[in-house]
Amino acid sequence: MPAPTSSSYAYAADLPEHVWRADALAAPEADTVSSGDAALDAQLPGGGWPVGALTELLQASGVHLEWRLLLPALLRCGQGPVVLVGVPTVGSAVLLPFAPALAGLGLPWQRLLWLRAADAQLWVAEQALRCAPVDAVLVWLPQARPQELRRLQLAAAQHHKLLFVMRHSAAARTASPAALRLQLAPCATHATGLRVDILKRQGPPLARALDILPAQGQLARVLAAQDHDVCEPVSDRAGGGAAPAPVTAATVMVNAASLGFCTDASALDRTAA
Amino acid sequence: MRPHWIALQPEPAAQPELADALRAWAWRALRLTPLVAQVDSVLVLEVSASVRLFGGGAALLQALLQAQYGPLAPDPGAASASVASAPRLAQGRTALVAMARLQLPPLPRLPIDALPVHTLAAAAPHRATLARLGVHDWGTLRALPRGGVARRFGAGLLDALDCAYGQRPERYPWLTLPEVFDEALELAAQVDAAPALLFGARRLLAQLQVWLRVRQRGALALELQWQLDARRSNAAHTDSHHSGDGWGRLQLRTAQASQDMRHWERLLAEQLARVTLPAPVLYLRLRAPATQPLQSESRSLLPDEQRSGDPLHQMLERVAARLGPGSVLRVALQDEHRPESMQHWHPASDQAQRGARRGTPCGSLCGMDAGLYPAWLCASPQPLATGPDGAPRFHGPLALLAGPQRIEAAGWDDDCGVQRDYFIARGAVSGLLWVFRQRLSRSDAGAAQWYLHGLFA
Repeated sequence: MPAPTSSSYAYAADLPEHVWRADALAAPEADTVSSGDAALDAQLPGGGWPVGALTELLQASGVHLEWRLLLPALLRCGQGPVVLVGVPTVGSAVLLPFAPALAGLGLPWQRLLWLRAADAQLWVAEQALRCAPVDAVLVWLPQARPQELRRLQLAAAQHHKLLFVMRHSAAARTASPAALRLQLAPCATHATGLRVDILKRQGPPLARALDILPAQGQLARVLAAQDHDVCEPVSDRAGGGAAPAPVTAATVMVNAASLGFCTDASALDRTAA
Repeated sequence: MRPHWIALQPEPAAQPELADALRAWAWRALRLTPLVAQVDSVLVLEVSASVRLFGGGAALLQALLQAQYGPLAPDPGAASASVASAPRLAQGRTALVAMARLQLPPLPRLPIDALPVHTLAAAAPHRATLARLGVHDWGTLRALPRGGVARRFGAGLLDALDCAYGQRPERYPWLTLPEVFDEALELAAQVDAAPALLFGARRLLAQLQVWLRVRQRGALALELQWQLDARRSNAAHTDSHHSGDGWGRLQLRTAQASQDMRHWERLLAEQLARVTLPAPVLYLRLRAPATQPLQSESRSLLPDEQRSGDPLHQMLERVAARLGPGSVLRVALQDEHRPESMQHWHPASDQAQRGARRGTPCGSLCGMDAGLYPAWLCASPQPLATGPDGAPRFHGPLALLAGPQRIEAAGWDDDCGVQRDYFIARGAVSGLLWVFRQRLSRSDAGAAQWYLHGLFA
C-alpha cells in the first residue's frame, strides 16, 4: 500500500467529522477485549478481539500457536469457564491442553472445560455459547461449511461471547462469515514471537504481517539466557554431527498473501455481523 | 366456627398438559387446608380453619387460583385461556351444599331449602318418585315426616339430608400429598417409537412440576418406566433399558435440583432417542426418587447484570447426554514430576467425588517451572525421525534451544525405569516444540530415540 502523501493527510484533516475515510477501521459495534499487544490492538477494529463475533485463526497443520495469542484476552474476559471444543491434533497425535502450563501462564485450571467432541463440534459449540456463565469458546474445526460458521457467528452475537475458531490455513481460500480472520505462524526472528497476518477485518486490508512478541515470560528469559550457547544439540549422543542450521534471521516478508488472493477473499465474504 | 366448604371441579379438557388435573388441584388445595377429599370427579375442601390465616375467604380463593404456582392456574394475560382453564367453584355451609351449588349456575345463589332435589346425590335415584310427590327442593323433602321417608326411600336419604343441613358430621377419605412422586399414565394409543414416549412423559413432567412446587423441592433424579405390551413375544427382550420383566427403565440425574421441566425434557429427549422399544408401550410411569428442598432465588434490586442463557450444569449434562460423559472433561492437577501425570482430564460429572478424594493439589506445581512447560501436551509421545546427523526432524530440522532437563520415570507403575532428557526445540515451520530423547537405563546401547511431547503454543 503506498504511503499517503502529506498533502493527502492535510486534505483528510480538513474534512468534516462525518465524512467516511476509506482508510479508517470500522467503528466498534460491540465490546472488545484487548489482545494484550498494543501493535495488534491498533490493527483490530475496536482495539481488541470482538465480543459477540466469530474470530477465525488459521494455522498450518502441526502448528498450534493459539494459546500464546489468546491467553491475554482469556485472562481479561472474566472469571467464567473457558470452553474448549474439539480435538486438536498434531500429526496423528491428540493434543491435551496442559493445565499446569496454562496455570503457570495465569489461566486458572478451574476455568478450563474441555468438550471433546470429535464430530459434533458445531452443536456443542452452540450449546456452550448459549450457556450463561461461559466467557469464551475456543473451537477446533478441521472442516466447516460457511453456513455452519455463520450459525456459530449468529450464536456468538446473540449470546455475546468471545468465540475463536481454529482452522487449517487451507481454509483461507474459502469465504467465511467471520468478522476477523487471522493467519498465525511462528515468528522468524524471535523464538517466542508470532507472525500474525490479518486476512480480513472490518476495515482496509493490512498489507504487512505483524510480528508480535508476547510479554516476557519465563520461557523467553530462559531462551534469552541460553541464546549464546545453543545449537549444540546432540552433543554426546550424535557424535559430533554438524549442528543444524540456526534459524535464519529476519527476513521481512512482503506478505504476498494479503496482497493477492486474500483481498479477493475479503471482497467475497462480507462479515455476517 | 361455622364450617365453610368449597367444591371444585376442573373442566375436563381444560388442561391437557397435565396427566391428572384433578389430583394436581388436590395437591394445590392441600397447601391451604389438610381437609381435601375427592368425591367422584369433584374436590371438596373444608377451609374454615384456614380462612383467617389467609386473610378471608376471597383471599383464600385467590391463593388457590393464583398463577404463581404454575400451569394449573390460568395465565392472567390470556383472558380466553383463563375462562377455559379456570375450574368451576362453589361454596357452602356443608360439602353437599357446595357440591349441589356446583351443579347449578352460579347466579342466582339459592338458599339451601330452595336447592333442587336432583342435586343431592342420594336423592337422584328417586327423582321421578319425588317429582310425582310434588317434592322439588330440599326444604320440602326435609318437611316430610322422617319415618315415612325412611320407609319409602331408605335411611340413606335421611342421613344425606342431615349431613347437608349440618346436623350430622360429614366424613370423607381425606387426600394426602404423597411423600415420593410416583405417577402413572395410560397412553391414549400404543406407542411404537421411544422418542414418541416424550409426549406422554411431558404430561407426567407437568404433574411432577406441580408436586415439586407444592412441596417446594427440586428434583435431582428421575426414573421413567414404561410397560411393554405383554401380548408381544418381544416383551421379554433384554437390553440396557429392558430387564426382561416387561418393563423398560430410564434413569436421569442432574447436578442441581431444579423445578425446570424444560431441562428434564431435553435430557429425556436425548436419552429416549437412543432407546429401541422391542414392543409397543401402553403405560408410562414417572418417579422422582431423589429430591431436595429448593432454595428460592433471590431477586436483585438493581437492573440485572446477569447474562442470558442456560446454567452451566444444564449445558454440561445436555452435552454429556448426547456425546457420553467421557466427552465433557474437567482437569485436576496432581503433585507429580512426570508431565503425563501432572494433570488428569476426567469427566465433569464425577468431579464432586474426585474433589473429596484427593484434596486440591497445585500450589507447588504452579510454582517455578510452570512457565517452562508447553501449553499443549501430546496424549502419547510421538516418535520423531532423525536426520543423518542424528538430530530430530519435525517438518524440517529442529534446533535445540534449551535443555536437557532430565526426568526419570520411577518404577512404580512402569516395568523399567526410563530416563528422558527434555529439550526445547525450534523448527522454522512448527515453532517451539518440547522434545525428549529417551534411553532405557537397562540397555544403554543403541541410538537414542527422539520423541515429540508438547507444543509451546
